[in-house]
Amino acid sequence: MNANEYDVIIIGGGITGAGTQRDCAMRGLRTLLIERSDIATGATGRNHGLLHSGARYAVNDAESAEECIKENMILKRIASHCIDETDGLFITLPEDDLSYQQVFVDSCRKAGIGAEIIDPDLARRLEPSVNPDLIGAVRVPDGSVDPFRLCAANMLDAKLHGGQVRLHSEVTGFIREGDAICGVRTRNRISGECEEFRAPVIVNACGIWGQHIAELAGVKVGMFPAKGALLIFAHRVNNMVINRCRKPSNADILVPGDTVCVIGTTSTRIPFEECDHVAVTPDEVTLLITEGAKLAPSLSSTRILRAYAGVRPLVSADNDPSGRNISRGIVCLDHETRDGLKGFITITGGKLMTYRLMAEMATDAVCRKLNVDKPCRTAETPLPGSEERSYEAVARKIWEKPSMAQKAAAARMGTSASRIRTGDRSDEALICECEEVSVGEINDAIDRLEVSSLTDLRRRTRVGMGTCQGEFCACRAAGLLAKAHGCVERERGDLVDFMRERWKGNFPIGWGDTMREAEYTQWVYKHVLGL
Amino acid sequence: MKFNSVIIGGGLAGLVAGISLQKEGLSTAIISTGQNALHFFSGSFESLREPAPRIAELFSEAGIGIHYSEGVRLMPLGTFREAALSLDDVSIFPTSHFARKALIVGVTGYQDFFGSFLAEGLEKKGIQCRLRNFSLPELDTFRQSAGEMRSVQIAPILDRVWESAVREIRVLLKDEDAVILPQIFGFQDISVPGKIRREIPAKVVFAGTMPPSVPGIRTQRLLKRRYETLGGTYLAGDEALSAHVHKGTVHSIVTKNLDSHYLEADNFILASGGFFSKGMKSNPFQILEPVFGLDVEFASDRNDWYDPDFMKDQPYMGYGVRTDSSLRAIAGGEMMENLFAVGSILGGTRPELGSGAGLAIRSALAAVDEILKTGKR
Repeated sequence: MNANEYDVIIIGGGITGAGTQRDCAMRGLRTLLIERSDIATGATGRNHGLLHSGARYAVNDAESAEECIKENMILKRIASHCIDETDGLFITLPEDDLSYQQVFVDSCRKAGIGAEIIDPDLARRLEPSVNPDLIGAVRVPDGSVDPFRLCAANMLDAKLHGGQVRLHSEVTGFIREGDAICGVRTRNRISGECEEFRAPVIVNACGIWGQHIAELAGVKVGMFPAKGALLIFAHRVNNMVINRCRKPSNADILVPGDTVCVIGTTSTRIPFEECDHVAVTPDEVTLLITEGAKLAPSLSSTRILRAYAGVRPLVSADNDPSGRNISRGIVCLDHETRDGLKGFITITGGKLMTYRLMAEMATDAVCRKLNVDKPCRTAETPLPGSEERSYEAVARKIWEKPSMAQKAAAARMGTSASRIRTGDRSDEALICECEEVSVGEINDAIDRLEVSSLTDLRRRTRVGMGTCQGEFCACRAAGLLAKAHGCVERERGDLVDFMRERWKGNFPIGWGDTMREAEYTQWVYKHVLGL
Repeated sequence: MKFNSVIIGGGLAGLVAGISLQKEGLSTAIISTGQNALHFFSGSFESLREPAPRIAELFSEAGIGIHYSEGVRLMPLGTFREAALSLDDVSIFPTSHFARKALIVGVTGYQDFFGSFLAEGLEKKGIQCRLRNFSLPELDTFRQSAGEMRSVQIAPILDRVWESAVREIRVLLKDEDAVILPQIFGFQDISVPGKIRREIPAKVVFAGTMPPSVPGIRTQRLLKRRYETLGGTYLAGDEALSAHVHKGTVHSIVTKNLDSHYLEADNFILASGGFFSKGMKSNPFQILEPVFGLDVEFASDRNDWYDPDFMKDQPYMGYGVRTDSSLRAIAGGEMMENLFAVGSILGGTRPELGSGAGLAIRSALAAVDEILKTGKR
């Protein structure tokens, strides 16, 4: 057997691709995942990080609501180190119709979502940041999920089951034999190296970029890019997710996550050319702040850390390339039955919340093609790091008297935190003070999680995601990466790229304290450090 | 409380103005919020070269050694920049090939000195480099708490135990003709960098670190001491809130701590800095000067405040308060008779005065001259 031959190749290193690789690998298949950039660079890393209870969809889309609550309960079991079980509120404000509340609660219950009407006074006590003018509140099992961590844990588990990963490799074409796809050609975007990989089944899990990959394979999947803009605030203003109890609209979800909170989103159709460079406009920023302050009034005076946008992969639901019927549901296409093209599957649509189910559907389709009869076990098997539910218990097991930074590491890595090298005191030195990330944790990410740049490192460890946006930690982390990769010159360029990337999300909200911090950062990097 | 001049801002510009006025026998007060740009000073006065005699005298009387020669200086990430007027800590070389072999020595656990970057930069210039760290038992307490290995925490210790540090470095030194050390020596005791240079049998180069800047904070303290020795009143931790202005003349300043006691003066100098120092503030719609409401030049469309590329010059960093040619500030289109704007609050509105530390010193001295020439004494 050739080293470049696999049972299945998955294209796309977002949560769907990583989840699919994990499922395939757990069913004994030899897998390869190919990603043109880094993990979680598309919609996976550019959303709220909301662990939906399904309540948001209960009234209008019962099927999605049911999927969400089932997956919600599964993820709390298998991905506990990526999840914060905060619960959520759906609040009714004076300008909203209170009669919607009953319809909402009935629909939730029908879908199997525990929704409980609570007294507005109790809501104010449970969540002090909530708009005190609220006239109604419903408590639901919403939560927050770190999509970067979730994606990395799936990729890591796939690797532990023998899976291989090629990051920064772009698919440039397919290898065909008659009416079957039997391999891909790739080009590494860093080294320029071209390679070929073969497998009897190839899964297209590229989100909005899936349309392009399908075109390369010679089939058509009609997709519709919808941009969603979000803002990150520099404080964790709320401890529970806050939603509006009304028909879903713009900027009506506020999600706490780690040390910050996120308000979103908008929905705007954009042309395909913009998918790689989505930018947040001043109008979107204004809308997000105005609507966000209705959920939690203190947002209007809270520092904004960053603006960002993602692109939802909306698909025509009924296989109709014209797209008259757009769905947010899961779409799994077997191109053999649909288009007469053997060995090619597209898995798309869906949500971060339902990635595991999507992966199960795609893997079932792969197994049917390969005549493999193995059951899916991803709903019961914890991801690496999630074997234990309480991070404080994890920290106490690893360290006798865990420090704040060690507790933070346990919260990020779960039981995998035991892998952090200790003993040498310099491993305990902090690189990122905002998020309390140590030298040891960064070196662990470099060793195990395929890090080629500071931006990759940020997705895996949260370095540079905190209040200072990389101002203090970027140089320090660059020093470690330079050592690991043995190339300072490349690292200096990487540092420039990293600061550029951080600035992209800062300048749309560049006023007040953000401008202060930006002036400081620009001065230090250009004039003091001499970058 | 009445002074000849009240200066808002205790950074480089404010202190240079205060020292110069006190030397002329005028009574002054400086209102300082605390941190200023000297806390992230590179050690070189950007846009200044050979110092004018009065600048040389001012620094020498404050006990601060400065020097200039044609050449280059080594930056913390291993690049070279053209020389500028520099503190004695900062070495200026005629060419970037200043040694054959260099030993780069960091402190174990201290992350803010970028040895591998320096080595790469130096090796490109043909200087062979070796990287080593030293550790001292006196620094162990810091290492136990991972967040505390920062320049300002370890520098006071190194002032006391610099001789042990030199011993460690001498053990590491082989046939190198240059030793590169982080700029974390001489925090309180200014003689330490010179002593280290004498005790190590090689050319000693102090390279910059991530802020806080040890030489910058030392410079700030020495200037402040000189100012107070001359009889100046330094109000640390206070903040100018608003001003009483009548017909284009400022009468007094209201501060946070002095409550109903206004600071009265014949002249006022606004040296409150840029955005970081809160000399200028911004909201989504405008950029403003908060104490006097001075006119600020900025683009009306916020999208024009920034360049999307981090590495390009940012328009907002050039924004500053409007003045006439004598640095008298302008509010509502009207010149303020006795209010002078100096330092980075000028932004890029007065390019002939330079930028950074050069702008701070030049504009402060220009305002002082204007007060001596035309102001009330």
